[in-house]
Amino acid sequence: MQNIDRRKFIGKTALAGIGLAGAGALITACKRNPDVKITGLNPILNGAPKGKKLRAGLVGVGARGTGAAINFISAGPDLEIIALADVFQDKIDACRERFASFKLPIPAENCFVGFDAYKKLMALPDVDVVICATPPQFRPEHFLEAVLNNKHVFLEKPVAVDPVGIRSVITSAKKAEAIGLNVVTGTQRRHQEDYIETYKQVMNGAIGTITSAKAFWNQDHVWYREREKGWNDMEYMIRNWNNFCWLCGDHILDTHVHNIDVINWFMGKHPEKAIGYGGRHRRVTGDQYDFFSIDFDYGNGVSSHSMCRQIDSCANATGEVIMGTEGYTNCQNTIWDLKGNIKWQFLYAKDENGNPMNAVKIPPYVQEHMHLVQAIRTGNYVNEAERTAMSTLTAIMGRTAAYTGRLITWDEIFKSDMDLGPSKIEFGPVDMVFETPIPGTPVTS
Amino acid sequence: MKLKNNQSRTFLRGRTKVWLIVAGFIICLIFLKSGKEVISYTSSDKYCVSCHIHPMADQSWKLSAHFNNRTGNIIHCADCHLPPEGRGYLFAKAKHGLKDAYGFYFKDSAKIDWQAKRMLENAKGFVYEKSCLRCHQNLFPVKLSVNGGNAHLFYTTSKEPLTCINCHLNVGHFDKNAIHAHDTSFGVSVTANQALFTEPARIEKFENFSEKIPGTNVAFEMVAIAGGTFKMGSPESEPLRKADEGPVRKVTVSKFFMAKTEVTWDEYLAFFRATGSQGRTEGQKVIKKNVDAISGATPPWGAPDQGWGKGKHPAITMTWHAASVYCQWLSKVTGKKYRLPTEAEWEYACRAGSEAPYFFPGNPKKFTSAGFLKKFFGPDTAIIASRVVYKVNSPSKTKEPVYVKENPFGLKNMAGNVSEFCSDFYSPDSYKTDSITVNPKGPSRGQEHVIRGGSFKSDAKDVRSAARDFTKTKAWLVTDPQMPKSIWWYSDAIDVGFRVVCEADSVTGS
Repeated sequence: MQNIDRRKFIGKTALAGIGLAGAGALITACKRNPDVKITGLNPILNGAPKGKKLRAGLVGVGARGTGAAINFISAGPDLEIIALADVFQDKIDACRERFASFKLPIPAENCFVGFDAYKKLMALPDVDVVICATPPQFRPEHFLEAVLNNKHVFLEKPVAVDPVGIRSVITSAKKAEAIGLNVVTGTQRRHQEDYIETYKQVMNGAIGTITSAKAFWNQDHVWYREREKGWNDMEYMIRNWNNFCWLCGDHILDTHVHNIDVINWFMGKHPEKAIGYGGRHRRVTGDQYDFFSIDFDYGNGVSSHSMCRQIDSCANATGEVIMGTEGYTNCQNTIWDLKGNIKWQFLYAKDENGNPMNAVKIPPYVQEHMHLVQAIRTGNYVNEAERTAMSTLTAIMGRTAAYTGRLITWDEIFKSDMDLGPSKIEFGPVDMVFETPIPGTPVTS
Repeated sequence: MKLKNNQSRTFLRGRTKVWLIVAGFIICLIFLKSGKEVISYTSSDKYCVSCHIHPMADQSWKLSAHFNNRTGNIIHCADCHLPPEGRGYLFAKAKHGLKDAYGFYFKDSAKIDWQAKRMLENAKGFVYEKSCLRCHQNLFPVKLSVNGGNAHLFYTTSKEPLTCINCHLNVGHFDKNAIHAHDTSFGVSVTANQALFTEPARIEKFENFSEKIPGTNVAFEMVAIAGGTFKMGSPESEPLRKADEGPVRKVTVSKFFMAKTEVTWDEYLAFFRATGSQGRTEGQKVIKKNVDAISGATPPWGAPDQGWGKGKHPAITMTWHAASVYCQWLSKVTGKKYRLPTEAEWEYACRAGSEAPYFFPGNPKKFTSAGFLKKFFGPDTAIIASRVVYKVNSPSKTKEPVYVKENPFGLKNMAGNVSEFCSDFYSPDSYKTDSITVNPKGPSRGQEHVIRGGSFKSDAKDVRSAARDFTKTKAWLVTDPQMPKSIWWYSDAIDVGFRVVCEADSVTGS
């Protein structure tokens, strides 16, 4: 990010791209100016404002896609889902049924199946917004197609699985900005009021200068699918996408990117380099690791320890901790001083019984769509794609460090030609070798 | 009367004042108006073209994308060649105006090397980045290609100085040879119908031979160089020398064969065709030295020959890495041991027995173009111009070997034409520190490699036998828009090439 906004003439672009918050906040943090107004944070809304009817098309109609589509229509008045695209007919059918059960039928002629289904959906003139929720392998081309068709976009995270995809997303983000297309990404912590308020505290100096951080997403094993009879290679991999690196990017991207994104947000920059470990003990299918431990070096002696694991019956938890010279925070709702006394806490709304709830009023999954709709309807421009691409690339840098055992620098990974997956995306046999990466393997050509 | 007089004087004074003010105002207006007109007239295309009589500036502009485009917009001379108004416009205008006026009245247009002025490093002096960006405000238009996106991302994040014309040099003046893409057809067509060699040359004894590349019709001359001891480097008394050329030391080299000329496009393309890859190996050095699987260069970006012609012209712009893979390949197909020369071998061969600055008589001070008086009287070119392709006699491009005379060893273009890779790493103090005097191979480690001989761009002082230079990998790849950058082609060095040596061993009859 530092690099990105070097040139003054695109300063504006970069600023929007990296998240206004990050850049502005970094400056204020240095100055230690108390109670400065921190601009560029995502608004917290009770609902999207009224306005012109917005029709959305959903690309990738699996569990998260359908969820995201429901989140979208829950965000405010006059929001509709009018088109679906997926590679599997059964997924389309399930999603249509779901919407039909809400009495929100989606016309059959607007439902497209196949690897080019997204193109047909995005060519529909009535579609104003596209929700991209396929496995992340496909996100860059879907995002570009959406921009080419002048659609506003919601992008699920992560936004790509490799540096080639990341650069594509950043380029598309800049193209979208040039022509005023709004883009919101599914990094929902940035849309949570508790996180935002904690962030403001930290930027106002509540923990002093940041000295280190820790981010963790340690959980039980995740879903996988065994191959069924009649599935060809491609169908099997896509139905089991969460377990193949070329489709999923491994879980350091898929889930842990949330934590990594928070650390980048609070640090106001991306790390300069990464060294890490990882391995595979318990996974049943695919080629991915089930644990990672990465040291992200932010420069000047500041590191973030990033860990993620998907193994049952372990000490599992998710979250972030950021340490400063005058205290520390969990980034979500509490700030402690160096002796462990609570200095500040976010006050959650109370339930009917008068007890504080442990979550923000409006689920962040809906809040992010409110923000998108607000941006479209009020002209209050938003584009989160570049900063989410930067966080995804941070995760890719960590993954590559673990897979190879090497020190990976930001410059190397930003410019890398790593482009995962088969050259041709089509159903049928896939000529690929799926070996779990072994660190320390020398680079040969 | 006195009073009256006084009154009238006051009256007159008052009227005069008013008239003066009015007149002054009008004169100012005229000046302002005409000044503005003068400024805008002297920035008009018509005015520019009236003096800029260099060949085809006007025509090449009219053929360029800045004139001949779909939109009908015409970008005028001053739009690019002056900064935007209010941002150094008048200063730059005065600067260029004075220079142009001087050139117009005191120089012979026919003698100016216009080709050289078009080269990137010179063009940077009179094409203003601010002016490019004044019009091109959106670097990420929706239809921008993937490569374009990568290149512009690279531009916006680069820590190196990078200008628009690094990549878009020809947008204002059309160049039919310029290619702004991967040239996937580069060197692919074989035009000649001659019989192909089935076997490499066989060497019975240590003498000159003609090497034949099997499977092609390409042959090249190899010169047998007897070993010997010579003084390497230049003495402090040598005019215009640099510190890294000393101290002079006695060095012995064993006999070897050296190519009579720099590797030509014919030779290099034989390699390119035989080993060229579409390559996913960019950025990864080939570690295994397995000669059975030599993976060669990827398609180049743009036109590596710069449109100057291939054939017998020296091959240029390949990286040091590519040149060494070429030698591996050549060794494999000929069964001999080809490699890049060591710096000592190179200088020994270049001197060809001479201890003077050049292999021919002459003083660098007289040959150089540097210095105030040279501007008026010109450098001495009598002997050097028939032996070296350098700044003064090259029209800013390489020449075929036939153009120059050979040195006493029978080698051509050791000095000038293109700088040549040596196998040694470069270090400015290697002569001081290296204790090996028999077949020295240079420092054991380093970043950049030695290049020798100077090029068509060089001043006479830099084509001296002792003059040293080195590769500048980073600077020579600034414009390459690929991520990672090519390991096969330099995007920003058009005056480097190489020549091969062949070891004298049992295979070569020694």
